[in-house]
Amino acid sequence: MTIASQLCSEAPPGRAGTFGALFVAFVVSAASTSAAIDFARDIKPILAERCYGCHGPDKQKSGLRLDRKDEALLGGDSGPSIVPRDAAKSLLFAHVSGAEPDSIMPPESEGDPLTPTQVALIKAWIDEGAVWPDEAPTELARSTHWSFQPPVRNAPPAVTNTHWPRTPIDHFVLARLEQENIAPSPVADRSTLIRRLSYDLLGLPPSPEEVRAFVADRRPDAYEQLVDRLLASPHYGERWGRHWLDLARYADSDGYEKDTPRPYAYLYRDWVIDAINRDVPFDQFTIEQLAGDLLPGAGHEQKVATGFHRQTLLNKEGGVDQEEYRNKAVVDRVDTTGAVWLGLTVGCAECHTHKFDPITQREFFQLFAFFNNADDKDIPAPTEQELAIYHAAKTQWDSTRAPLQQRYDDYVRNMLPAQQAAWEATGTLDLAVWNALPPVSAAAAQLTTLSTLPDYSVLASGMSPLTESYTVAARWPGASPTHATPLSGFRLEVLPEASSNTGPGRSGNGNFVLTGFELRVQAADGASSRTVTFSKASADFSQKDWAVAGVIDADPKTGWAISPQNKRRHVAVFECAEPLLLNAGETLVFSLDQQFGNQHTLLRFRLSATSAPLPLAPSLIDDGVAIAWNTPPAHRTSAHQAALATYFRDEVDPDARKLRQPLDALAKTEPKYPETKVAVLAERPTPRETHVHVRGDFLRPGPRVEPATPKVLHPLAARAATPDRLDLARWLVDERNPLTSRVTVNHIWKHLFGRGLVVSVNDFGTQGERPSHPELIDWLATEFPRLGWSRKALLKLIVSSATYQQSSDYRSDLIEVDPLNTLLARQSRLRLEAEIIRDAHLTASGLLARKVGGPSVRPPLPADIAALGYANSVKWRESEGEDRFRRGMYIFFQRTVPYPMLMTFDAPNSTATCTRRDRSNTPLQALTLWNDPVFFDAARALARRLMLEPTPDARLERAFEICLARSPSEAELARLRQLYDDQKRLTLEQPDSATAILGVGGDTALPTDPIAQASLVATVRTIMNLDEFITRD
Amino acid sequence: MSPKDIVKLTRRDFLATNASGLGALALASLFKADGLLAAEPAAGADAAPPFTPASHFAPKAKNCIFIFMEGAPSQMDLFDPKPKLNEMNGQKLPDSMLEKVRFAFIQKEGARLMGSPRTFTRHGQCGMELSDLLPHLGTCADDIALIRSMHTDQFNHHPGQLMMQCGSSMFDRPTMGSWLNYGLGSESKNLPGYVVLTAGRGTSGGASLWSSGFLPSDYAGVLFRNKGDPVLNLSNPPGITERMQHYGLDAITDLNKLRHQKVRDPEIASRISAYELAFRMQTAAPELTDLAGESAATMDAYGIDRVEPEIKGANRGGGSGQFKTFATNCLLARRLVERGVRFVNIFHASWDHHSNLEAELGFNSRMADQPIAALLKDLKQRGLLDETLVVWGSEFGRTPLGENRVGYQAVTGRDHHPFAFSLWMAGGGVKGGQVIGETDDIGWNIVKDPVHVNDLHATILHLFGLDHTRLTYRFQGRDFRLTDVAGKVVNKLLA
Repeated sequence: MTIASQLCSEAPPGRAGTFGALFVAFVVSAASTSAAIDFARDIKPILAERCYGCHGPDKQKSGLRLDRKDEALLGGDSGPSIVPRDAAKSLLFAHVSGAEPDSIMPPESEGDPLTPTQVALIKAWIDEGAVWPDEAPTELARSTHWSFQPPVRNAPPAVTNTHWPRTPIDHFVLARLEQENIAPSPVADRSTLIRRLSYDLLGLPPSPEEVRAFVADRRPDAYEQLVDRLLASPHYGERWGRHWLDLARYADSDGYEKDTPRPYAYLYRDWVIDAINRDVPFDQFTIEQLAGDLLPGAGHEQKVATGFHRQTLLNKEGGVDQEEYRNKAVVDRVDTTGAVWLGLTVGCAECHTHKFDPITQREFFQLFAFFNNADDKDIPAPTEQELAIYHAAKTQWDSTRAPLQQRYDDYVRNMLPAQQAAWEATGTLDLAVWNALPPVSAAAAQLTTLSTLPDYSVLASGMSPLTESYTVAARWPGASPTHATPLSGFRLEVLPEASSNTGPGRSGNGNFVLTGFELRVQAADGASSRTVTFSKASADFSQKDWAVAGVIDADPKTGWAISPQNKRRHVAVFECAEPLLLNAGETLVFSLDQQFGNQHTLLRFRLSATSAPLPLAPSLIDDGVAIAWNTPPAHRTSAHQAALATYFRDEVDPDARKLRQPLDALAKTEPKYPETKVAVLAERPTPRETHVHVRGDFLRPGPRVEPATPKVLHPLAARAATPDRLDLARWLVDERNPLTSRVTVNHIWKHLFGRGLVVSVNDFGTQGERPSHPELIDWLATEFPRLGWSRKALLKLIVSSATYQQSSDYRSDLIEVDPLNTLLARQSRLRLEAEIIRDAHLTASGLLARKVGGPSVRPPLPADIAALGYANSVKWRESEGEDRFRRGMYIFFQRTVPYPMLMTFDAPNSTATCTRRDRSNTPLQALTLWNDPVFFDAARALARRLMLEPTPDARLERAFEICLARSPSEAELARLRQLYDDQKRLTLEQPDSATAILGVGGDTALPTDPIAQASLVATVRTIMNLDEFITRD
Repeated sequence: MSPKDIVKLTRRDFLATNASGLGALALASLFKADGLLAAEPAAGADAAPPFTPASHFAPKAKNCIFIFMEGAPSQMDLFDPKPKLNEMNGQKLPDSMLEKVRFAFIQKEGARLMGSPRTFTRHGQCGMELSDLLPHLGTCADDIALIRSMHTDQFNHHPGQLMMQCGSSMFDRPTMGSWLNYGLGSESKNLPGYVVLTAGRGTSGGASLWSSGFLPSDYAGVLFRNKGDPVLNLSNPPGITERMQHYGLDAITDLNKLRHQKVRDPEIASRISAYELAFRMQTAAPELTDLAGESAATMDAYGIDRVEPEIKGANRGGGSGQFKTFATNCLLARRLVERGVRFVNIFHASWDHHSNLEAELGFNSRMADQPIAALLKDLKQRGLLDETLVVWGSEFGRTPLGENRVGYQAVTGRDHHPFAFSLWMAGGGVKGGQVIGETDDIGWNIVKDPVHVNDLHATILHLFGLDHTRLTYRFQGRDFRLTDVAGKVVNKLLA
């Protein structure tokens, strides 16, 4: 068929005229070129001229972009714009042709509609298959942006001042400085250096003794020795672990309204501290956290590592759509992975193709697909101590139990069979035979759906109204038409649902209230019926105040319920007032009323009848026993025999029961396996389908996508047809990845200099800052893998540089030229992080508990702060003993009620990855340092330490050394002395204040010289409030 | 590098190229927060505010009191009379209406419309209809612009609250109070520019509802406490007298200055001025909360010492004493704006009446109605209402359907409803005595003048003389705004 005839044949009848005209126009234009439509020649110019303005590189109205093939085929918010070979289903055609009169494209404001020829071309092109040559992806991949190119390792440049550099780093820095005619700063004095190193590597200040030793150490490698000693300290893992936890958005609670605590979150934190202390190579560190569970032979530790992505928030607020928040968590995992390893704001592409960086929305969801297939899982993770306690207790318990069990087993094996034989020969069985009634129909008065199961039980599903009434019609199952013996009673069994661990009722805890139980016998013709009267009801168990007798009384407010014995089988039996004889074809119609409300309705139940003599016992014993008993021994099956054996052993034989009693008692004391669980990721056996979320809305699935990495970066080497998280993790640390190493060395640099070589540490994309020293960051990015991805080696390299060791003093010659210290002609003065400020106080006071790792702690918190949590959900039980004095990083982080001091000093709120902390400087910080009871206690303890020194001057000098790692200048000492004298005078004026300041009195003995010590408290707390005390110079 | 450093750099660029655009005010505010200006000679202990507020155009409002009724009060029982709904009480909604709707708890198939037991009467010259639960507010009707056509995108509490406070349900966005302080700074030199007061049980969102997001933490709300010190760590430590504290502060300043002479880091100058402001706050904050100077008439008007009714189970876990706390918070709000505090956020939780609505809404309304009306009148009488914008609102509204939640014995409440709810504003350049917007007969959808949360924010910024599209902050390569990518000023609201 030619294109022209196709156009004609498909033209709708009413519009034939229009299409006839089109045909002429089309033939003219098409005939002059060729028969087939060529996208580049015929279509692209139309789209470019008339559509790109709103659906092109600059704007994507309604999420539609027509200048890129994959995006155009993907369509916009309304769905696919082009369905190859089906113009009628293609929104593009619908809109330009006027088939959608309310939304003709282009809109009036953008000029005339397309010409009929253009419309015809588009229709023909789509119907021909919408052939669009594959040019777009290559266009995309050809990014020239610096960070997408592999790092180039240039030789360190030559410099004039050849004495200054200590490492290749210094060549890069100095070469740049020399270009600008700036001299580097002198090396910092040794006390500053050791304090700087201690804070940077451990987050703790050096002791005065350590400072003195280092200042006096004249060996040429003294600095190197110091660095090695610090890197070997377990506190190194705490310091650099906390930096990593910022990226991991670590917290001890779920976040959102309920903000449930995560008591075992610390197990991941412990993993981080330990991995960093062991200097696990960064590539392995990466792989284990993103996909440790998928490593061949993954051990427990590798699984714990995947806790990295379990730090996402969880919304347990009532009525939330769990799927919505699961999707949010996966989005966060993609965002965080992009920010932490790639330094890209991939999250921008969640709702639309990235406006600046070459990442499409489809690519975002291809990354999403990697994480979409991981389930949140909590696996047992008892600590060694917990296990030791458990195993000891369990061994003890087992040894108590073994002989008892042995005696019982021996009896059952050796003695019981003879006893059972005797019983079968001469004994009686007082069990009724119950026949389950097969329902003919089961219906609910309201909205419940009832269905019959093969075991004749009836199951409720679907809507769960507050009250219900069920009607079940059943026939006698035996030989038709009638039963020889009259029926004496009926039984209602209420049954749990094992699969969902609920029932037998539909209320939240599995309870129900049966308020009425009626039976009518309906004649075969359905015309007449008679009502059966029950004289008595009994049950195996009834809830207090809800006895089963209430079912057959006239009061609708009384009835049968079974709490707290929920989630197990119960029976109620109803005795007929008179024996019931059924006629041919009669139907039993039961009405089960459940009018209590609050969904106290039945979930699953079964009806049975018996002819056994009255009274009827509400027995829970398996119906099979009575059936087996009534079966002649020769015809009994093995199931029959087993039923009888179990019944005899458990219910009849007194000796077996006696022997079992101690075992039953002991079972209640069985030690419990430790509950500690760690949050990890686990791959789903059956992959979850991933679709693009149109405009980022998870309820609007777009086209399906498979896991893949952005095309602008190196190709992914997958182990199987469908790549998984492990492939993604390996792709991130692949040597061809231009970003991961650059981004990581930049993070490390930022912590040592206060800013990254790329200032926008989280954005290496086109909107981010360019590197201040491009050759240096590339050199470091290539050096890091050469050092085996060893963080310790890289840190040692950087802190050994002359650049790092410079003085941080401001230089008047640089204020105009380089106000931000971009050129690195000096070190930076950096206010300590929130946790480290606490650590500094605790160290100076001597109170610090140096224990590494373990559960989070709760230092004192003002009572009304905890009350801010939703509906008193936050329980803040203060820690005791040394746990009051743990490092700041161990403070329990409750997301909705974060510890105020941490937030005042810019700790991240841990709702999302934090790649850069603020360093604000506010009055609230001043109030905290000045008056917070924790810090005041630190000052008290420091003063106590200082009283060991002989004189006030010696105490003040020592205080200075402890707090600032240096001796005071004459002026400083004089000022402190003056303050001390002033405080002493004021204390003497008000002697009461001394005991208050010292916090003594009552049982606590007064120190020898309370006035001096109180004055010292009042003096040293000013040192702890100095800018220098909370600054690393 | 901290954002502050970026600001230092951009300030240069900025001052060189464009001295009159928006950046100027934002930067001025940042400098103030950084103490950069404070470090200059002008910032002596008793100097004028450290910078001059600036706006895009003439502002009407200077301060805002945002009364946030956490949990979503029922609009059809307070503000939006629906006689037709009462007539249809107990009826089902057509399936077509429910098809695409998501509820938190309602089971759609069995849900029935629930009328309101309230009676509505007309108030003021404007004849605004309000429910019998709001007799005091009725006396202020002519000052109030009531919006019956609010709508939002979120139907769970915490995300909805973030939306109302930050214009987006994402975390780490600054709140309205942060944006206003960022844009305009604070006129108070002794108190924070953004103060939070709470009563009732904790809010769903906790501290995220007064977070500064990606803005520097200086712009975060400062929580004033109901008991003890209004601000954490405001009191001197035990035994430390006022004079000791003063001597200590002088020593800190002197020693910091010595250090500054050596290392010349401007951050030290900022630290010195931060300590000075902290010290002033130590005096100003207790003075703020000391109500001894308030007349008995004022205390009575606010109902500070009203007898709190004992309605069993009606205080929703907020404990007793809510009446007093809430009334005190309203009075404190006036005292705060008198002292130049830019943004006061009063929270009360909870209005989340899924059940027992009649008793609990009654309890909450009795608690809130009188103090809020007293606040409006007090502001007006003192000539403060013209420059103080008062906003009353919540994260969303409640359904015209009764809530037949799983686990409920009877239907006595309403579920979350984001499609149409009510909010009112007064003062600060708002045209009072009018109702904006209409909902349909049952209050399900908006039929006239819809106002999205982003529109509300755009309007509030406008009242403060700020163009919501130009009040931006660059973060992660993008210019962020309070109104995200939407928002239209509601001109009808403007006086």
